[in-house]
Amino acid sequence: MKRLSLVLIVLAMVSAMVFAGGSSESAAATGDSNTVKVGLICIGDENDQGYTYNFIRGRDEATENLAAEGINVEWVTIYNIGEDSSCVDANIEAAEQGCQIIINNSYGFEPYMLEVVDDYPEITFISCTSYMSWNDGRDNTHNAFANIYEGRYIAGVVAGMKLQQMIDEGQITPEQAVIGYVGAFPFAEVVSGYTSYFLGARSVCPSVTMKVMYVSSWSDATAESDAALALIDQGCVLISQHSDNTTPATAAQSRGVFHTGYNNDMTGIAPDASLIGTRIDWGIYFTEAIRAYVNGEEIPQDWCKGMGEGAVVMTPLNEAIAAPGTAEKIAEVEAAIADGSLEVFDTSTFTVGGQTVTTAMALDTDGDFTPDSVEAVHDGAFHESEAQSAPYFTLRIDGIVELN
Amino acid sequence: MSNVTRTPFVRLAKRTDIDPRRAWIIRVASIVIALVLGCIPMLVTGTNPVEAYSVIVQGSLLRPVYFRQTVKIAIPLLACALAIAPCFKMRFWNIGAEGQITIGAMCATYFALYWADRVPHVMLLLIMFLAGVVGGGLWALIPAFFKAKWNTNETLFTLMMNYIAIGIVAWLQGGPWEGRQGSQIIPKFADAARLPNVLGVHIGWIFSLVLVVLMYFYMNKTKQGYEIAVIGDSTNTARYAGMNVGYIMMRTMAISGAISGFVGFMIVAGANYTLYSGVADGVGFTAISVAWLSQLNPFAMIVISMLLAVLDKGSTTLQSRLGVPASVSDIITGILLFTMLSCEFFINYRLIFRGRAQDKEDGK
Repeated sequence: MKRLSLVLIVLAMVSAMVFAGGSSESAAATGDSNTVKVGLICIGDENDQGYTYNFIRGRDEATENLAAEGINVEWVTIYNIGEDSSCVDANIEAAEQGCQIIINNSYGFEPYMLEVVDDYPEITFISCTSYMSWNDGRDNTHNAFANIYEGRYIAGVVAGMKLQQMIDEGQITPEQAVIGYVGAFPFAEVVSGYTSYFLGARSVCPSVTMKVMYVSSWSDATAESDAALALIDQGCVLISQHSDNTTPATAAQSRGVFHTGYNNDMTGIAPDASLIGTRIDWGIYFTEAIRAYVNGEEIPQDWCKGMGEGAVVMTPLNEAIAAPGTAEKIAEVEAAIADGSLEVFDTSTFTVGGQTVTTAMALDTDGDFTPDSVEAVHDGAFHESEAQSAPYFTLRIDGIVELN
Repeated sequence: MSNVTRTPFVRLAKRTDIDPRRAWIIRVASIVIALVLGCIPMLVTGTNPVEAYSVIVQGSLLRPVYFRQTVKIAIPLLACALAIAPCFKMRFWNIGAEGQITIGAMCATYFALYWADRVPHVMLLLIMFLAGVVGGGLWALIPAFFKAKWNTNETLFTLMMNYIAIGIVAWLQGGPWEGRQGSQIIPKFADAARLPNVLGVHIGWIFSLVLVVLMYFYMNKTKQGYEIAVIGDSTNTARYAGMNVGYIMMRTMAISGAISGFVGFMIVAGANYTLYSGVADGVGFTAISVAWLSQLNPFAMIVISMLLAVLDKGSTTLQSRLGVPASVSDIITGILLFTMLSCEFFINYRLIFRGRAQDKEDGK
């Protein structure tokens, strides 16, 4: 009996402490007008050294930029949320903690985010890389993406120059210039990415071809490595990727072939293989959006910027192994993209089934997931991310083979 | 000298008649020990444990919106523990609830996707419910049939069936049922295929509570419940008493799978409004702990499933407010499950230490 009362006393004490702290929250929400509380819901954490890490970098950059302008950002970052109803919980969590802006960082979060937005009409919700929010008739839902295809095009130029150098030096024949591409899924963002990459490579190495292998996961380190090795076994002499891990880079390094990366600089992990990488600089968008919010201005419902505005950047070039003259070429192409004289998806540079493309629709409006409105092809080019920020280029062009 | 057997330092003795109040003291003590041990990972990550526990409670119970989310997490745990209970009572180790949930969810989803514009709201939900129940039941019947017919190992069989179920849904998700090409996302259900909310949580909580009562009566007051208990104690006794053991096993598994299938239906129609391969999300496994911790008592399952839901929901708040990684609260959950399960050992056995035993003998 004595022991029972002891237990009860302990329980009573614990619960007293617990309830005593009960009313301390939600005071932070009503700070001064220059402090803004922002929620960031992430699919991974910074340890992935890729996708989520890139968002965390953007978060820190925006905090710094805004601090210089006298705006304090208080972040509530929630990591490792799945694309399921736990994403609903995470959005509610951020809202209940007084966040004024809530940013969802993964494509698959959007449908769950949209379940919550009507309960919190005064909160600004943002879904990055997705496409439904800007167009859903609500004022408090937004999308954002950047023209990552521009960065991929330049990464492709770097890869193509390396391949052309190998051909010129007699290391490979022109037919052996085959790129292997590790893709996540046959999804518009991936197709758009590898096509722009391939067009960049072919602009400087006319004989190049490409093989694409899908790993059926956005992030599966082993499968990505396996796919890279399989592509190398099939004769690919250069690997690129649209997946979250650095294992394709290390696979390339182990087999003595070259590589270009995504989301992060991978030259440190594969110094003899990785030539360059490209990534979205989310700091640009976060800074703009939060500044607009604080100043009482409208945040664009569907934000999309490119290299010209610094929203897409190249990671440092690996000068030790890149072909001579690459840095100058990068500068030249960057300038051409920025001033609009170069269109990445110039219809004169590719064919589909042997034919030049003259028409392609961008958006789906009737919900059957087949694009049916807004012409994307005009003025001699397919205009990616013009009708909406999320990519919609899904043409399969000649010269690229999907292996699975 | 040599024939003197040394008494071991600790000996075990089976307790035969433990005072039920004493048993509950041990159980409560195990929770307290778990909470104390849970301080270790918090201290390692530099968090004040008192603050952390208070955040967990605040973040799961102390606001209506939080409380509703906690209940939403507890519903499938509770209902699935109820599904598992009769199997475990029978000592049929069904660890395939995960797959049965997935198949139930899949069958319900078919009608949600393709019949939503054909049948009215309540009718559609009824069809989805039946589809989930039948799907889960049939899926569970397969290992039961093999067990009854050829005495296959049900633990491995049900476990392996999980992966098949998850694989089928993964295929549907990337293939025939996929929405936008390459997205791996099945479109959200139309409103007609969604369970209504009652007091802010989908109506599944009422069904689950009704199920608690039904399962209590089924297990304790019916002939079928009695048959299950007899088989659990001894299949030979059951056979001797003239019971058709194979048939009872199949019947019990079909009921268990049907309830799991119902859980799958509740998850897709009440919480996620879509289907994906991870739809069961470990509920089928966690529910085993819930059932076991509750001593297969349906009413105790309400408490245990809420306790786990509190930790689960509280961990999100813990992470966002104090920056504690969600894995820390997973560790605490693990410690809690461990201590609570192992306390049953101390309820069933008594430790006799050498010294004390000596004293007793001396005192004689």
